[in-house]
Amino acid sequence: MLAYLIRRTAYGFVTVLGVLALLFALFFLYATPQDIARRAVGEKAPPEVLQRWISNHGYDRPRVWNPGNFGDTLLADHFRRMLSFDFGRSDADDTPIVDRLRRGVGPSLCVTLPLFAAGLVIGVGLSLLVAYFRETYIDRMGVVLCVLGMSVSILLYIIGGQYLFGKLLRWFPLSGFDPDPLLIPRFLAIPWLVGLFAGLGGEVRFYRTVFLEETGRDYVRTARAKGCGDARIMTRHVLRNALIPILTQVVVAIPFLFTGAILTESFFSIPGLGSITVDAIHANDFATLRVMVYIGSLAFVAGQIATDVSYTLVDPRVRLE
Amino acid sequence: MRRRSRATALASALLCAAACGNSPYPGADDAAKVRYGALPEPPKTLDPAVSYSTLDHAVFSNAYDTLLEYHYLKRPYELIPGIAEAVPEPRELPGGRVAYRFRLRPDLLFADDPAFALSGRDGGRRVEASDVAFELMRIADPAVASPVFETLAKIEGLREFSDRLAALRDADPDFRARRIDEQYAAAGPISGVRVPEPLELEIVLSEPYPQILYWFAMVFTAPVPWEAVAYYDGQEGRDLFKDHPVGSGPFRIARYEPESRIALERNPTWYGVRHPEWKAPGATYPSEGEPGDAAMGRLDPAYVGRPLPFVERIELLVEKEDIATFNKFLQGYYDASGIPRESFDTLVHEGALSPEMAAQGMRLEKGVQPSIDYLGFNMNDPVVGAPAGERGRMLRQAMSLAIDSREFTRVFANGRGVPAQSPLPPGIFGYDETYRNPFREPDLERARALLREAGYPDGIDPATGRPLRLSFDAQDTSSRGMLSALFFTNAWKRLGLDVEIAATDYNQFQAKVRRGAYQIFQWAWIADYPDPENLLFLLWGPMSASNGGGPNSANFANARYDELFLEMKNRPNDARRKELIREMRELLERERPWIELIHREAYTLYQPWLRNVKPAELSQPTAKYVDLDAEQRARLRRERNEPILWPAWVLAVAAVGLLVPAVRTWLRERQ
Repeated sequence: MLAYLIRRTAYGFVTVLGVLALLFALFFLYATPQDIARRAVGEKAPPEVLQRWISNHGYDRPRVWNPGNFGDTLLADHFRRMLSFDFGRSDADDTPIVDRLRRGVGPSLCVTLPLFAAGLVIGVGLSLLVAYFRETYIDRMGVVLCVLGMSVSILLYIIGGQYLFGKLLRWFPLSGFDPDPLLIPRFLAIPWLVGLFAGLGGEVRFYRTVFLEETGRDYVRTARAKGCGDARIMTRHVLRNALIPILTQVVVAIPFLFTGAILTESFFSIPGLGSITVDAIHANDFATLRVMVYIGSLAFVAGQIATDVSYTLVDPRVRLE
Repeated sequence: MRRRSRATALASALLCAAACGNSPYPGADDAAKVRYGALPEPPKTLDPAVSYSTLDHAVFSNAYDTLLEYHYLKRPYELIPGIAEAVPEPRELPGGRVAYRFRLRPDLLFADDPAFALSGRDGGRRVEASDVAFELMRIADPAVASPVFETLAKIEGLREFSDRLAALRDADPDFRARRIDEQYAAAGPISGVRVPEPLELEIVLSEPYPQILYWFAMVFTAPVPWEAVAYYDGQEGRDLFKDHPVGSGPFRIARYEPESRIALERNPTWYGVRHPEWKAPGATYPSEGEPGDAAMGRLDPAYVGRPLPFVERIELLVEKEDIATFNKFLQGYYDASGIPRESFDTLVHEGALSPEMAAQGMRLEKGVQPSIDYLGFNMNDPVVGAPAGERGRMLRQAMSLAIDSREFTRVFANGRGVPAQSPLPPGIFGYDETYRNPFREPDLERARALLREAGYPDGIDPATGRPLRLSFDAQDTSSRGMLSALFFTNAWKRLGLDVEIAATDYNQFQAKVRRGAYQIFQWAWIADYPDPENLLFLLWGPMSASNGGGPNSANFANARYDELFLEMKNRPNDARRKELIREMRELLERERPWIELIHREAYTLYQPWLRNVKPAELSQPTAKYVDLDAEQRARLRRERNEPILWPAWVLAVAAVGLLVPAVRTWLRERQ
């Protein structure tokens, strides 16, 4: 297990290095420091001022190769900073990026964590329900609704949700955020409802398939033959045995709870990490953007490893070697 | 029956506890005079020496005072004293130099701040001329990278100070670690910035530049205490100065969460609050305006002569999507709003507000920005430029006659804009409302005749026997930008010209400009200050982009124009200046280095409870002049936002109805 973990982590590290190399190519070789400086200092700034900004921010150093001092290149600096988690300052406004991450992670978790938990419970619950009532009107209607839910873009749900709950019924604020725990449900009601609705279709379809596959197995027939009730079979036997495919979907998503939901946060003006990413894109803030992509890749690798480990926890037959 | 009503009441209470309506300001005091506004993105910096963005200025410029200000109502814009006692007159010095002497009002205070502990004070301290001098040093500081350094380098010794400071920092790494005021003191004073007395500031310019006064009405040159810059260094949990402005303005930052919410509150130590008896022009509601202000309620006797400011607090929320922003404006949660493109046609009919909006008491205000959008020709080009002589001129005139600005404005700006006849927009001295540029009304027949005369009959280049091939460098590569490029090339196609669109980004275009490898381009300029010099210099020969990296991207070089410009730029706004501008305009009319498109127009919607609002086309702090009727707002907000609860019950009943057969099936199976 330990050897496996070390090997897996090493693979992950190589992947992350690859991502960093790609990031460098994208942000340093494609975009020029002038692009960044112009956005930071303003359209009207004369070339001399842009040059000042560029040298103040160290973008005038050699990019890849510096025969005099190998360590003093943008490439070396990029890897050094990312790997040591010393992210430096934003290109747009010189704010330390770590401060911004620290401020953004709370609001992001406020959006994603309850959504994730509720999505999981309701998704599994509903799919157990439709699987239990397979081939009845509930199942058929569930399938239709799920396919409908999967087919509609989240953007439409967001705009529709804002229109319905914020504008037409006037139940909740259209957008905004307040860190006060008592006010969080009020501001996040629409994002939660929208997120739940948008994600539920796919989840229920997937879990239903998994559950139906399980209900056809021998142990279910045996349980039934022994007089075990359907509800008990579903919750005690089927659910437990269906955990592996569910975990694949669930554990891999956990690290991304921290990186936020880009569209939702942007549309509802929630100052989370997703929103920071959008701001960075708008402001040509490549320093922040690099960090966000890097964190995304770390989250992905972490999610993969965590999924593997979780298999051993729910299924004693799985051994990681 | 009673049980049911009790259950309904309980459920309603629960729902209400969760929702309580759609107000984004739960718990806010409805009776308080608080202004609510939205920002489309977080501000980048609140450092007055650095920020060149209207959005940033909207946040922090109200926290600073400037030596001079613009009159709130008068147009053309007029300078009035701010914290200076008077608008200074230029004093000529030997060697063509010019001096301006400002005298600051006494007893001005910076807002209280812990930073002043650095100079042994508890709270704020008096504002002195040296605080303006300090800010000018910051503009010259290479580490600050102020975007206005080059412009203000007309101040004698500013550039030398900047070089000395850089040299000291390079020579000794420890120097950079010293306190900022010590660093500046070591680099020596700026020879053209003198402080003969604590409240006297003398600025010496190395050449005449009367427009310098406008820069003292901008927040770049606001007095800034050195203590704040030294204290807010981002160390040991302290903010950065760019996030923590310390000024002497009518408001001060009360809450700064740049990603979500910013609040300003009335500054109790502002001179206008402490000394209403001074009746200072910058701290009193004006008694005069431009024609029409009285009719718009902006000269209400209830306000004229009253001390400013009127509102207690300004809340600014970062709101990234304009649909949400606009809907919240309609609900009454924002006091003013722009008009989203997608809603424009439903809200505005023929330049006026739709009857539905007018019935809600909304007001539409329009303001022409001091800007110009134009198409330019590279005057160094052998085909379209000056080397082609008379032939090139006629080609440019013909191409100018093919472009319909009115149609362009209608298609690409919802009609928001004034078709431009010359580089000068309305509100700027020298703008002539009656002037009609003979080459700026579309006339294809005349254009074709000119092309024939130029030797391009029906647009055919005799050298190749094919339509004359030109290239148009479009810098906006979005689909919208490409559409507008197509609009122009299609117009020229009607003359038989074959203009190809070359999509280039900003940097590629800059490289092309440096190489001189471009023919036609689209550009825009927004004036920094309301003076014709700030627009007409865009065509001044020495500002040529290809020859000197200046903003004259057309590389227009005309000896007569340059001569007229030099005489015009330093003159006061008199008849001679008007005459010079008229002659320059005629020269441009004939030479056509530009095809003038539009002067942009901003449409702003205001709620009925706002008082004294007037759109400001220049980036100037105006929050102190505006008032609001909080009671009216609270009432209208309630009327507009009564929650509709019955669908909740319908949904609940539907859910139960849907589940009943399922539960029955389950029960039956159990049996």
